Amino acid sequence: MTEMFAHLGLGFGIALTLKNIALCFVGCLVGTLVGVLPGVGPVATIAMLLPITFGLDPVGALIMLAGIYYGAQYGGSTTAILVNIPGEATAVVTTLDGHQMAKQGRAGVALGTAAIGSFVAGCFATLIIAALGAPLTRLALLFGPAEYFSLMVMGLCFAVVLARGSILKAFCMIMLGLLLSTVGTDLETGQERMTFGFPPLADGVDFAVLAMGVFGFAEVLRNLENPEARDVVRSKIGRLLPDWNDIKQSTAPVLRGTFIGGVLGILPGNGAVLGPFASYTLEKKIAKDPSRFGKGAIEGVAGPESANNAGAQTAFIPLLTLGIPPNAVMALMVGAMTIHGIIPGPQVMTKNPDLFWGMIASMWIGNLMLLIINLPLVGLWVKLLQVPYRLMFPAILIFCSIGIYSVNNQPVDVMFTALFGLFGYLLIKLGFEPAPMLLGFVLGKLMEEKLRQALIISRGSFMTFIERPISAGLLVVAVAILVIALLPSMSKKRDEVFTE
Amino acid sequence: MSLNKIEAARSLRIRSTQDFAAGLFMVALALLALFLSRDLPMGTLRQLGPGMLPKSFAVICAALGLLLSANSLRYNGEKLTGFSWRGVFFVLGAACLFGLTIRGFEIGPLKVPALGMLVSGPIVVIVAGLAAEDVRIKELLIFAAAMTAGCALLFKYALGLPIPLAPWLLGI
Repeated sequence: MTEMFAHLGLGFGIALTLKNIALCFVGCLVGTLVGVLPGVGPVATIAMLLPITFGLDPVGALIMLAGIYYGAQYGGSTTAILVNIPGEATAVVTTLDGHQMAKQGRAGVALGTAAIGSFVAGCFATLIIAALGAPLTRLALLFGPAEYFSLMVMGLCFAVVLARGSILKAFCMIMLGLLLSTVGTDLETGQERMTFGFPPLADGVDFAVLAMGVFGFAEVLRNLENPEARDVVRSKIGRLLPDWNDIKQSTAPVLRGTFIGGVLGILPGNGAVLGPFASYTLEKKIAKDPSRFGKGAIEGVAGPESANNAGAQTAFIPLLTLGIPPNAVMALMVGAMTIHGIIPGPQVMTKNPDLFWGMIASMWIGNLMLLIINLPLVGLWVKLLQVPYRLMFPAILIFCSIGIYSVNNQPVDVMFTALFGLFGYLLIKLGFEPAPMLLGFVLGKLMEEKLRQALIISRGSFMTFIERPISAGLLVVAVAILVIALLPSMSKKRDEVFTE
Repeated sequence: MSLNKIEAARSLRIRSTQDFAAGLFMVALALLALFLSRDLPMGTLRQLGPGMLPKSFAVICAALGLLLSANSLRYNGEKLTGFSWRGVFFVLGAACLFGLTIRGFEIGPLKVPALGMLVSGPIVVIVAGLAAEDVRIKELLIFAAAMTAGCALLFKYALGLPIPLAPWLLGI
């Protein structure tokens, strides 16, 4: 316990320097600024804003990125409440009651409750990360290559099950991501693989290129095709702070949501996405009058928003302790960390304690900042929401183009991104959801490395994955989750959850 | 006879063009990958070769694709909708133009010097802007100028990234 507070103290010492506070502030601000734009989800936001962190030192860059991440999350909720357009899967739930509240002239209260709920959830989640960080890192040191491989297999199975839409298609996307990750020079033999003999591909497909192509450009193409019916709330925003009655109604949902979201967020393979759904369902089940839900019940905003934020934060745990990103956003964080020369994993905490604890402390500061800067700025966000799409997407495009160019100062990267934009557009047209692909892509290289190591150690025997107890346990969970999801009764329930 | 059985008794047909095409797409990508990795040695289980994983992944992709296509014959699903080539052309074309002009290029007789961001920026905004059906030219031109100026200030000066502004005019 004292160790934990000592660590947090160290973290706050680093995060509370003037420079890092400023970076966190700027991160939160621009993250919200871009995240608020309808049709721009957190993945696209982070991909777009990645280049602005290039000039910073690693600690500052990560603090700013974390700020951008929370900002993007919060911006997404703002859009969900005010415009009824969810930026990502988890914001869908917020649109149900949040937008109804906005229509009744209680937009301010909805936004305020979301912000306060998120802050409370953020406080608890920060403590959870600080408490679990050290023990989990020690656990990670027990992991050999076989365990890592099995863990990644399990993570990918979770990602398949928790993806939106058909399981088969999500599986396709994961495999496609894994396949893409094998493009480039083979690490052991130095042989070029599937590069068309084209030198820029020798290092493999660049992560930023893939992410911006599939989530930036392709998303623009998707939005251009479906002219959105933007339903910006015309009625007044109203007062922002919830009154005593609202607080009484939302305290318990916030705490329950924090717990649910925090626990689910730790799961590898995008458990965080379940948090808001689970919280909403729970609140509706235990409510005295469930019919209020969908008509502007404050519990339907408070619970899921807290769950969302708690999950968004505890999702850092698998990334920081095991080096395994649980979802597409965290996969982006891996990309960003690698650009700054940090390989996420258990060694980060021991080798770079400044970075690890500084980032965790800045998470809490970021949450506080969101509360402070966002409530007064709601008016600005509303203005921003009225920018027509015909101006918004050229702005996104110039930003992305400059950004990709800046990653390696390579003009050809911009062309590649356009190619991946076309690829992403094809995927969307074919009904694929590209997020799992990004996860497969990021995990692919690591998986290959661990698989090779494990097989060398075991002298070519696949039994090693079953003989080692931890590895076998992880694989059993992976198989179990797939089987459960494929049972006809469960797949029906799964459809209900994601369409509700 | 229940409705399902009546449906099943009908001749085999594609019930979801989207899934059917998606399956073929996966198979095509897998075949491409198999073709590209044809010369890579598989290695042994004890010492995996560079070809082992690409080929295995490609085979799994192909299998999933076939399953997806086969399923589209059994279950009803989404239809494939038309592509909006206007968006693809202008948006992706704009990005390509940016890549071509920012540092210049040479293709055969065509030679473009490095134009820098002060030229490439407006090109991106204007060409991309043409993709919108409700495009307003005047508004777009002003917006292009403003965005370029903003991006130049942000990326070049505030963030200090080494991006050429206008080497042919300003020398930076």
